[in-house]
Amino acid sequence: MRRYFRLHRIFIAQYLKKLMEYKVDFLLGAIGLLLTQAIQIMFLGIIFSQIPALIGYTFPQILFIYGFSLIAKSLDHLFTDNLWMVGYRIIRKGEFDKYLTRPINTLYHVIAENFCVDAFGEILTCALLLGYSIPKLNLPFHWYTIPLLIVVVIFATLIYTSLKIMTSAISFWTKASGHITHMLYMANDFAKYPVSIYNKAVQTIITYVIPFAFTAYFPASYFLTGENPLFCIGGTVIAGTVMFALALFVWHKGLNAYESAGS
Amino acid sequence: MENMIYVENLRKEFKKIIKEPGLKGSVKALFKPKKEIITAVDDISFTVPKGEILGFLGPNGAGKSTVIKMLTGILMPTSGMCRINGQNPQKDRKNYVREIGVVFGQRTQLWWDLALRETYAVLKEIYQVPDEQYKKRMAFLNEVLELDSFITSPVRTLSLGQRMRADIAASLLHSPKVLFLDEPTIGLDVVVKENIRNAIRKINAEEGTTVILTTHDLADIEFLCERIVMIDKGKKVFDGGIAELKHNFGDVRTLEFELVNAPDFKLLDYHRRFKLTQDELASERDGAKATVRFDTAKVSVEDIISYTLSTVHVKDLNIKDVEIEEIIKRLYRREVSL
Repeated sequence: MRRYFRLHRIFIAQYLKKLMEYKVDFLLGAIGLLLTQAIQIMFLGIIFSQIPALIGYTFPQILFIYGFSLIAKSLDHLFTDNLWMVGYRIIRKGEFDKYLTRPINTLYHVIAENFCVDAFGEILTCALLLGYSIPKLNLPFHWYTIPLLIVVVIFATLIYTSLKIMTSAISFWTKASGHITHMLYMANDFAKYPVSIYNKAVQTIITYVIPFAFTAYFPASYFLTGENPLFCIGGTVIAGTVMFALALFVWHKGLNAYESAGS
Repeated sequence: MENMIYVENLRKEFKKIIKEPGLKGSVKALFKPKKEIITAVDDISFTVPKGEILGFLGPNGAGKSTVIKMLTGILMPTSGMCRINGQNPQKDRKNYVREIGVVFGQRTQLWWDLALRETYAVLKEIYQVPDEQYKKRMAFLNEVLELDSFITSPVRTLSLGQRMRADIAASLLHSPKVLFLDEPTIGLDVVVKENIRNAIRKINAEEGTTVILTTHDLADIEFLCERIVMIDKGKKVFDGGIAELKHNFGDVRTLEFELVNAPDFKLLDYHRRFKLTQDELASERDGAKATVRFDTAKVSVEDIISYTLSTVHVKDLNIKDVEIEEIIKRLYRREVSL
C-alpha cells in the first residue's frame, strides 16, 4: 500500500513535468470545462429569475446541490481520466500489453498514469458554487458533519470511477467500449438537480441502476436538512461499495479475455 | 543444465466473427454472427536451458507473437502450460513479471511525453530497484546501449534506433532473468542493428540472461543464436541448432560465375547434363553473372564447376557459403519437407 502511494507521488510529479511541456493544452482544457459549467449555471440563474422556487427548492439550495455534485465528479475526473482511453484506444490497439508486463496492479497502473488537471475547471466551479450558496443556507452543523462529508465524497467518487472501470472493461471482450462509457456517464447530468423533478422511471434508474443520485442529490439533501441520514449517507456507502466490487470483478474477468492486437 | 523455460502443448484459439464484405455484411454479422475458431498456436512444446539465446522464427502470422504473449503473461492460453523461471505466468502475474524483461519492437513501452531519463525513474519505482543498484545498472546500460546522447530528450523525439535502444534498456533495468525480444531490430539501419546485437550478446554473456528472440533478420540469428525453434501456421516445424539446420537442409549451395561472354549462358544446360529437375537446380543470369543454386545431394560442387569451365569462358568464380537465409526461405515456401 505504501509502495502504491509512493508510486502515485512519482506519477503525479512526472505528470506535472509533462504538463509543463503542454501548457497551452492544459489552459484551454481548464477554461473549456469552466465555460461549460458557467453556461449551465447561467441557465439555472435565468430560470430562477422567473420563479422563486423549484418544487420547494430555493435558488441557493439548487446551487448547493449542483456544487455538491461536482465534488465527486471533479475528483474522479482529476484522478481516473485515463480509464476513458482504455475503452477508446488502449485495448483496441493492444497497448494494454504494457500494463500486463509490469509488476503492479493493472487497474492501478492505468489510472495512475494520467491526471486530468482540466478538472480544475470543475473544481473551481464547485468551490464558487458552494462558497456562494453555503452562507445563504442555514445548514445544520455537528462535529460529525466534516467526517461524514469525507466519507461521502470517497464513496461518491467511487461510484463514478467504478462505472468507468466497468464500462471500460467491456472492451476486453468487445475491443472498444468508449461510447458505452460515455452514454452511461452522461447520466450524471441528472444528478445535479433534485431527483423529485424527474418522473419515476428516471428516478429509479439514477437511484438503483446507475446510482448517480447518491453522488449528489441524496447526500447533499442530508447536508441541507439533516434528515434521512441512513438512506442518504448509508445509501452512498453501499452504492459505492457494490459498484466498486462489481467493477473489480468485471475488470479481472476481462483480463483473462484480453486478446491483444497483432504486431 | 536446468531449463529456464518449459513449454508444453501450448495452444491458443481465437474466436473470429466472419463478416461478409461491405456494410451489409457488417450489419448481418452484428445480428447473426458466424463464428469461426482460429488456432493461432497449435500445441507447441519446447524448452530453453538457462543462459541460452533462442531464435524464434517463422513467417508473418505464424504465431510467434502469440506464443511470446502467452509466455509473458499477456495472453491466457486456451490449453497447455508454460513454466518460466519456475513460475506460471498466468498464475501470479505480478510476481512473475518482476523477473522478466519484454520488448515489442513494434510498440514502445516508454512514456511518450516524458524525457527518457524520467521514464527510467518511473520504472525504477515500479520494479523497486534500490538506488545503489539503479545507479550501477544505468551506468552499465549506458555503456552497452549508448543512451547518453539522448537520455534527456522526450521519448517522442527519439529516432527509431534510439527508441529501440531505450526500450531494450528499459526492459533490462530490473536485471531480469529472462528477456523476451519480439523483433528488436525491425526497421533499423545496419549500424544500430549491430549495436543492438552486441548489446544482447554482452548482456547474455555477462549476466547469463536467457533470451528468446523473434526476428525476420537472419543475421540476428546467425550472430546470436545457437539454437532456433521455427513455427509455421501455429505448429512447430523445426527445433535444433543452426549447425543441424545447415546439415539437414543446407545441402543447397550457390555458385556465381562471371562470364567473359554473357550470351554464352544459354550454352549451359545443367538440367540435361546432370539430369536434374528445376527443384534440384536453378540457374539464372544477371548481366554477365550466372548464378547456379543446387542441391549437393544430387550433384557435387566439383562437377558443376568443371562442367561450367569446360563449356564457357569464365572470368571469375565465387563459391558462396551455405546461407541459412536460403534454407529458411525454402522452409517458408514449403519446398523442403520436414
